[in-house]
Amino acid sequence: MPDEKAVRPDETYVVRMEGISKIYPNGVAANRGVDFRLKKGEIHALMGENGAGKSTLMKMLFGLEQPTSGEIYVNDQKVTLSSPSVAISMGIGMVHQHFMLVPSLSVAENMVLGMVPRKGMFIDRAKAIAITKEYAEKYNLHVEPEAKVADIPVGMKQKVEILKALVRGAKILILDEPTAVLTSQETAELFRELRGLKENGYTIVFISHKLNEIMEITDRLTIMRAGRSMGVYNTCDVTKEEISRLMVGRDVVLNVQKDAAQPAQTVLRVRDLEYTNEWGKKMLDHLSFDVRSGEILGIAGVEGNGQKELIDMLFNLNTPNGGTATVNGVSVIGMPQRRIREHGVSLVPEDRMLYGIAANASIEENVISDRCSAKRLNRGPLFNMKAIHEEADRLIQDYTVLCKTRKQHVGMLSGGNIQKVVVAREFSNDPVLILADQPTRGIDVGATEFIRKKLVELSRAGVAVLLVSADLNEVMELSDSLIVMHNGKIAAYFKDTKDLTDDMMGEYMLGLREQSAEQIGRVCHD
Amino acid sequence: MTKKREIIFSLVRGLLAICIALFVAMLLIFISSEGAGFGEKLRATGAALKQLLIAPLFRTGRSGVSFDVKRLTDVLASMIPIIFTGLSVCIMFSANQFNLGAEGGIMLGAFTTAMVAIYVPMGAVIHPIVAVLAGGAAVAVLMLLPALLKTKLDVSEMVCSLMLNYIVMYVIKFLMNTYLADKTKGQIQSYEFLQSAKIAQLVDNGSKLSVGFLVALVVVVICGLFMFNTRWGYTIRMIGLNQDFSRYSGMKVAGVIVLSQVLGGFLAGMGGGIEMLGRYNTFSWSALPGYGWTGITIAILAGNNPWLVPLASFFLAYLTKGCELMATYANVPAQLLDIVQGVIFLFFAAEQFLSRYRQKLVVKSAQEELAGKEGAKHA
Ligand SMILES: Nc1ncnc2c1ncn2[C@@H]1O[C@H](COP(=O)(O)OP(=O)(O)OP(=O)(O)O)[C@@H](O)[C@H]1O
Ligand SMILES: [Mg+2]
Repeated sequence: MPDEKAVRPDETYVVRMEGISKIYPNGVAANRGVDFRLKKGEIHALMGENGAGKSTLMKMLFGLEQPTSGEIYVNDQKVTLSSPSVAISMGIGMVHQHFMLVPSLSVAENMVLGMVPRKGMFIDRAKAIAITKEYAEKYNLHVEPEAKVADIPVGMKQKVEILKALVRGAKILILDEPTAVLTSQETAELFRELRGLKENGYTIVFISHKLNEIMEITDRLTIMRAGRSMGVYNTCDVTKEEISRLMVGRDVVLNVQKDAAQPAQTVLRVRDLEYTNEWGKKMLDHLSFDVRSGEILGIAGVEGNGQKELIDMLFNLNTPNGGTATVNGVSVIGMPQRRIREHGVSLVPEDRMLYGIAANASIEENVISDRCSAKRLNRGPLFNMKAIHEEADRLIQDYTVLCKTRKQHVGMLSGGNIQKVVVAREFSNDPVLILADQPTRGIDVGATEFIRKKLVELSRAGVAVLLVSADLNEVMELSDSLIVMHNGKIAAYFKDTKDLTDDMMGEYMLGLREQSAEQIGRVCHD
Repeated sequence: MTKKREIIFSLVRGLLAICIALFVAMLLIFISSEGAGFGEKLRATGAALKQLLIAPLFRTGRSGVSFDVKRLTDVLASMIPIIFTGLSVCIMFSANQFNLGAEGGIMLGAFTTAMVAIYVPMGAVIHPIVAVLAGGAAVAVLMLLPALLKTKLDVSEMVCSLMLNYIVMYVIKFLMNTYLADKTKGQIQSYEFLQSAKIAQLVDNGSKLSVGFLVALVVVVICGLFMFNTRWGYTIRMIGLNQDFSRYSGMKVAGVIVLSQVLGGFLAGMGGGIEMLGRYNTFSWSALPGYGWTGITIAILAGNNPWLVPLASFFLAYLTKGCELMATYANVPAQLLDIVQGVIFLFFAAEQFLSRYRQKLVVKSAQEELAGKEGAKHA
């Protein structure tokens, strides 16, 4: 039931957004008369399907977008948030769904960007590093101040973003899907920090598609659907099922039913893969495993234990120092991506904005990028436009990409819908091996259900799937068998995922336990 | 937003940009015009504007304004080389390759074509074709240099191609001066092109509007189709938008980067060759002709879209002609052209220009659409 108190005008709110509408330049009505209020010192969830308008609403509170109509009050003062700097000056900070970091600069430089401690004309590097260290310590968010942002894993990027907002003195913190890229341990860690912040009077807006997290950390929640607010609730008064229903308009089943795997021949064979990164850290340490046709092999592990490096090696985005990786007997190490794809390998990349899409190209152009030379899409030297339109429309429909037309730029889609575009392309090119790195990241419950089903369906049809996910539930539920990575090594192999518990996994993931070489060796099926 | 509103918006924006630019031009002309009093200055300004705006196509005399075919064909003829350089730059910029070699390219193309036209006898129809293709091929090969340096050694194609322009110019000047000049003439020029090599004229009024104009239009169509309806053009555009994405998608990134510059070079060279055989009898260029720079302006005006290149070329050719006439008949400095061009350019390029007006249109459209949907639901 809606929280009646929440809409009483005499309560004090730090933020009131009233009757907010937003129409984007391309004519998309992303918000339609939304009311949104924040009480001081609460953690407030903003929930809704992909494209419901959550990010849009928050961008307006952060001054990145201007409302088409409606009013915003901060501490009961009517304000015009014409730019982020105005919002920051009022103590509003935002961590965006997509990273807003400069990849070529160091973590510390990114931290102080725009508020640069200067030494004459130059950035005072030492000071920047000191500030970064100080805040990282204070809020217990570990980052490497001197590393270049381009080289750090997404989990760390996320922490840099949060620290960035805190350094700027935010008292009202907007977190747009901060946990999408974090492991459960990191999330637990983050929640501890958020509770601490809350006790100190910080107000937090928390956007997430993960219902468990919402139930755990938030006090109240606002649900959005198709640009409208569907009501405000006290978190303790509603159940997960009710929330799903309010968001999607139907019941959602997240537990994917799957038959037992019938693994056939080995498709991906990795042996003794080794990689030491440029700071001399061993990221892959004699890694060996197999993935067979018809099975889903999950990789669990705390982010930064070699998962990213492994995927990079398998798709030739990086070169290992030693070892082999073959797909159906053909070595893929150092092979151009074009040929890797010809051998039937698909990749849902971890960083969708970097590799996954061309933001300024249309949805249509994005979904055909890997198959633009396919016979069926060409007629002699020219494109067969009709076939391309059909292909795009079919994928948009199958994967429920929320858009106006196939000509819409992908960069203008909501985060979850961008992910759907990537997944649609990678799942639909008749792969023999799918490397799925966080495939449901940032996707709403309804679409997550769909993508998981699709992944199971593909594997049961004989595709080999290597699944990396920071979401422990996801790996445990989807995988047929599972390996845990720790420090670039396999710490454990579980042939069956049925009777695994979070706690057991946790011990392996943190390196507290390790299986014997013999047990681990069973992941190689020769 | 509906198609109709979109078009109305583009038109309003274009017209307004031109009006503002003209207003600025008028002020400048007014300031620089000669005349004693305010009235006289005003009259001089009016006369100058008339030259700029209508003289490129119309003759004004005592009997009123009359359309002048010769002036139209003049403008069309001057579009020929800049259509080619415009297309050339479009393709290279689409791949995010800031190759500025169209300028040297058009000169080298012209020179190579001229050499074939002078020294390699051939049949009548085949001769200009071979000569022009040779011009294109020479520049295509030349562009391999910045392209390969870029893909192999990551050398900036911009710097490389820019320097290449001057190397090309001085090598050609050197060759002309020392070996190839017709010593019987008072100035540095080559021997005459063979009769068989000349490109036929479309009209016989001295405008030099040759068959080359039609070729240019055909090439526009080919380039338009190439960029938007073939896998190669698509690949070029995607690489321009996100190179990492393209590589990950399985495109031959390095190959296509080279291809885009070679194609760009070919187009520029062809343009030079056609301009040579359609307009001149001998090769006498002793400096870079400037068409390459104009090509960059055109590509930016056209938003790297080949289909819009003819329009942008016409616009620039018209403006150039107007300024020439203004300089000749109205006693206004020719440099003003650059200022007027700059102002118009500024407004076209400024994306935010009129964004408020556009937003109003969009909101109106969206609201109507929503109302329509809601209405349908209730019905
Ligand atoms: N810059 C933009 N230009 C045009 N349309 C946009 C832009 N950004 C978002 N949209 C559109 O506005 C709608 C709402 O997007 P928004 O990003 O607010 O969704 P969201 O609720 O954050 O979804 P997600 O969970 O996928 O992140 C979508 O239909 C999207 O396509
Ligand atoms: Mg979002």
